[in-house]
Amino acid sequence: MNRIDRLFVDLKGQGRKALIAYVTGGYPTLSVMDKAVKDLVRGGADLIEIGVPFSDPIADGPTIQESSQKALDGGITPGALLDWVKRFRKSHETPLVLMTYMNPVVSRGFDRFAREAKTAGVDGVIVPDLIIEEGGPLEESLARQGIHLIYLVAPTTPKSRREQIARRSKGFLYAVSLTGVTGARRALPKDVGAFLADVRRRSPVPVAVGFGISDPAQARHAAAEADGVIVGSALIQRLKNKEPLLPFARSLRHALDRP
Amino acid sequence: MVREFQSVIGREVKVQIRAFQSGDPDALVACVGGGSNAIGLFAPFYDHKKVAFYGVEAGGEGLRSGRHSATLCTGRPGVLHGARTYVMQDENGQVLPTHSISAGLDYPAVGPEHAFYKDTGRAVYVAATDKEALAGFKMLNETEGLSAALESSHALGFLPRLAKKMKRSQSVVLGLSGRGDKDMAQLAEGFHEPH
Repeated sequence: MNRIDRLFVDLKGQGRKALIAYVTGGYPTLSVMDKAVKDLVRGGADLIEIGVPFSDPIADGPTIQESSQKALDGGITPGALLDWVKRFRKSHETPLVLMTYMNPVVSRGFDRFAREAKTAGVDGVIVPDLIIEEGGPLEESLARQGIHLIYLVAPTTPKSRREQIARRSKGFLYAVSLTGVTGARRALPKDVGAFLADVRRRSPVPVAVGFGISDPAQARHAAAEADGVIVGSALIQRLKNKEPLLPFARSLRHALDRP
Repeated sequence: MVREFQSVIGREVKVQIRAFQSGDPDALVACVGGGSNAIGLFAPFYDHKKVAFYGVEAGGEGLRSGRHSATLCTGRPGVLHGARTYVMQDENGQVLPTHSISAGLDYPAVGPEHAFYKDTGRAVYVAATDKEALAGFKMLNETEGLSAALESSHALGFLPRLAKKMKRSQSVVLGLSGRGDKDMAQLAEGFHEPH
């Protein structure tokens, strides 16, 4: 069983929500990122999303864009990140998802990418600039290796299409909370609850909500109508300021678990 | 959609060429950055197989320098901004920085229909360097008194190379996609550099 599926089954049994933490691969360095991921897991993150830096990250806001560029300037490559996953897997069973863009995957070749990801111990892949109409070949390559391709829906996605996308998404469905790019926001849109409730009603797989979630209160609010929350830019901001991640992860965990 | 609306260029050429000759032109030449003006000139002639298409990309400081925007000449297939097409990229699929004396050609991908034209051999894609573009700009000023945009000047810069291979009786239509008024600062700088 894929680690992502097992996670959501376990959480459902416990009546808990998933805390999904995003870090940019190789930011600020690979060794700092390694420690950050382990702190996040210790602090209660259930699933780790590793951003594979891309030169043109069109779904990302300034915080993650800057971290991607920094990581690329530091010489990070998809190969180096897969090697890191391999090392991480020796000590951790935490589900791992790679968030990348289409071109690095096309460049590597779908089958090679899927094989290497499987060997390293990757459980899922998110490709925000891939639509379901074009996703078939990558889905097949990944499925042959037991890796899930996770699709995204946004508030602007028409309702019937939300359903089509949800049916194609494996592991979970990524619900984008707002119309815009990634990045911490002071407040989430007022109607995020209704949007999530609709998506969740249509989705055969668990729904995780991301984009703009920057503190424990927002995480708790968003989680009310979802199966998990994704926090990214707020973590990158802390890494940039050299602030510790462990207490922040714990506060997010606490906010989600509090009755 | 871009091709559809830009195609007015090629449709007008089909009509207006009759004032000069009876048949089609032998060759069409246009600069290619994203490729909109070129596809607009080429597309209406797609089925006129005797008409040769030449798309001229920005060769910048030369293809070997790495400082250019010649996507079709040097790139490989990828996906950028939602389209599968040729992309200037490194071995890991990271998009490469581009350079050109003209801002309008400075783009690391290209309209996907040009990728199709290239792969099927319907069009030939070449590169003109910054220097050739400046020479092309100068040529049109001296012969016609027209200041072309630096983008179109790349097509003009390639023209002498093409003309050498053609007969006097043959004709070429070159798409002048813009005026050079906007490029005065770049032109002044370009013509002051020793070359």
